[in-house]
Amino acid sequence: MTISGIFTILMYALAPFTWLLVVGSIVVISLHLLAYLRGYQITQHRSRYATILAILIGLSAVAWVPWLTHSTLANVATLFDWVALTAGIVAIFIISLVILHPLSYLISLLREG
Amino acid sequence: MQKPPLLSRRDLLKVGSGMGFGCLLPAGMTSASTLQTQAHVVILGGGASGIAMASRLTRRLRGGKITLVEPRETHHYQPGWTMVASGVWNAGKTMRPNADFMPRGVNWVRENAVSVDADNKRIGLASGSTIEYDFLIVATGIQLNYGLIDGMSPELIGQHGIGSVYASIEGASRTNQTIESWLASGQGKGIFTAAPTPVKCAGAPLKMTFTTLSRLEESSRRERFAVEYMAPGTDLFSQPWVDEFVKQRFDEQGVKRRHHYRLSAIDPQAKQAEFAFVGPESEFTSHHELREAEFKRDNLQTVITDYDFIHVVPPMSAHDFIKNSALVAQDGPFRGEWLDVDIHTMQHNRYPDVFGIGDVIGAPINKTAASVKAQAPVVEENLLSVMQGNLPSARHTGYTSCPMITGIGKAMLVEFGYADDFAFMPSFPFIDPKDESWVTWVMKDRMLQPAYYAVLEGQA
Ligand SMILES: Cc1cc2nc3c(=O)[nH]c(=O)nc-3n(C[C@H](O)[C@H](O)[C@H](O)COP(=O)(O)OP(=O)(O)OC[C@H]3O[C@@H](n4cnc5c(N)ncnc54)[C@H](O)[C@@H]3O)c2cc1C
Repeated sequence: MTISGIFTILMYALAPFTWLLVVGSIVVISLHLLAYLRGYQITQHRSRYATILAILIGLSAVAWVPWLTHSTLANVATLFDWVALTAGIVAIFIISLVILHPLSYLISLLREG
Repeated sequence: MQKPPLLSRRDLLKVGSGMGFGCLLPAGMTSASTLQTQAHVVILGGGASGIAMASRLTRRLRGGKITLVEPRETHHYQPGWTMVASGVWNAGKTMRPNADFMPRGVNWVRENAVSVDADNKRIGLASGSTIEYDFLIVATGIQLNYGLIDGMSPELIGQHGIGSVYASIEGASRTNQTIESWLASGQGKGIFTAAPTPVKCAGAPLKMTFTTLSRLEESSRRERFAVEYMAPGTDLFSQPWVDEFVKQRFDEQGVKRRHHYRLSAIDPQAKQAEFAFVGPESEFTSHHELREAEFKRDNLQTVITDYDFIHVVPPMSAHDFIKNSALVAQDGPFRGEWLDVDIHTMQHNRYPDVFGIGDVIGAPINKTAASVKAQAPVVEENLLSVMQGNLPSARHTGYTSCPMITGIGKAMLVEFGYADDFAFMPSFPFIDPKDESWVTWVMKDRMLQPAYYAVLEGQA
């Protein structure tokens, strides 16, 4: 398969989720920008709650990712199924953290102020 | 088998003028090269294979003319019909305008071809006009012969407990509604049939049985429903390992298998089906002998049975206008029914300027979109070779693939080819074709439709 073939398949696969990708990107960029303008630095800020919540959201994916694909956890059977589901959990954890981390900073500012 | 002759001097002159500029490299190194030509290439049918070929040839040919004959404005993603009939997808997901995929520069003739005069290289159209070609690609897919089942017609799908995933997208939706009504009735007998001919996606009748079983098992009233599978041959699937697997799984899931029966008639009002006993020699692969003997009504041994739901799989063949042309197979197992091509080079066995691709060809397996993906580069290379007066050298392995859905939410990625009694040809080392897997289901649910569209664009 050529690179352009892989690209074409990805374009068709992502097309139905374009709105989600656009909305998600706007949310993430706005949050980071807003927090950054108020002194947020990704390496400096620590939030146990954000991390725990991101882990919980990531773990919850075990239940709802198969459901999103019209399946159930009972059908996750082979080693590769579990590798793929684990990759999904990690990805959802990272996305959650990318949103929750600056959000927790903004909330802490609100609390302080 | 006699090899088709090389092309005439007249044909070669049409491509000769540009060869100094766009001379082709040997197969395997040719993907970027183009051929200067004045030839007229006609593609009959704008389904999966016709559009894939149009996309590929527009990139490879310079100066020639490509005509595609296809009456439909809407492109149907047929592999999605099983998902619609099983209640997983909505119908709209499987349709797109054909114009979205039609490559620029292709002359799209929006009507039906009604005849092929292969000796004079002429196509007759429904409007009465004709098109002359230098090279022809036949990609007209399959004709569904519901009429060979007495009393049956596609209009009945959705009524009187009749379902059939094959007829159309509307048929697939109505099949889902019929299954829903049967489930809601809380009991009864469901009969799943198979056809005594090669069919497109030979796994589809099995998938429909498995997804319906999933629904029945979910309903927690499984024991109130009887499920039967009526097969015309001893096999349920051509790949031997999968055949055994399905038989065993049916037995485990309480599906009563009956072999050597084909659906011969249906009485919709009475909800009764007649099955003809077709004898132990009945096999999918020797279907021609089978059909001749079998579709005669004298001395037919039949059984009549009641049903509450029946899934009808019609006998299939090439379209009548192909069967009535010189292009149809004259002998061998596909005679009178399918296009006569060399199953490796895809070139017609008697007309060297004609190629076949997709469901229309006479081949022991291969009536899948996955096969189209594998065949399209072979047809492309071999057509270009033949246009230059060379023999076709690219070879199709018989690759075909069926994500065998074994229940809603799980599937097996069954890929195989002609060699070694249809041995597995797995594409991914990390997916075992013998495993039921969620990832394979996700591929069917999410990735195969994008991959299919990439095939249409000539990108995969
Ligand atoms: C229910 C179902 C499930 C399937 N599941 C799978 C699957 O899981 N995986 C898989 O790989 N494949 C699957 N397939 C098979 C796949 O869809 C076909 O193998 C594929 O579409 C074949 O492509 P084709 O171009 O040969 O035929 P088609 O895509 O059917 O196209 C033929 C075209 O020819 C046109 N045509 C017909 N007659 C004429 C005429 N006289 N003049 C001009 N044009 C004409 C038609 O309008 C049509 O557009 C499934 C098919 C069905 C029905």
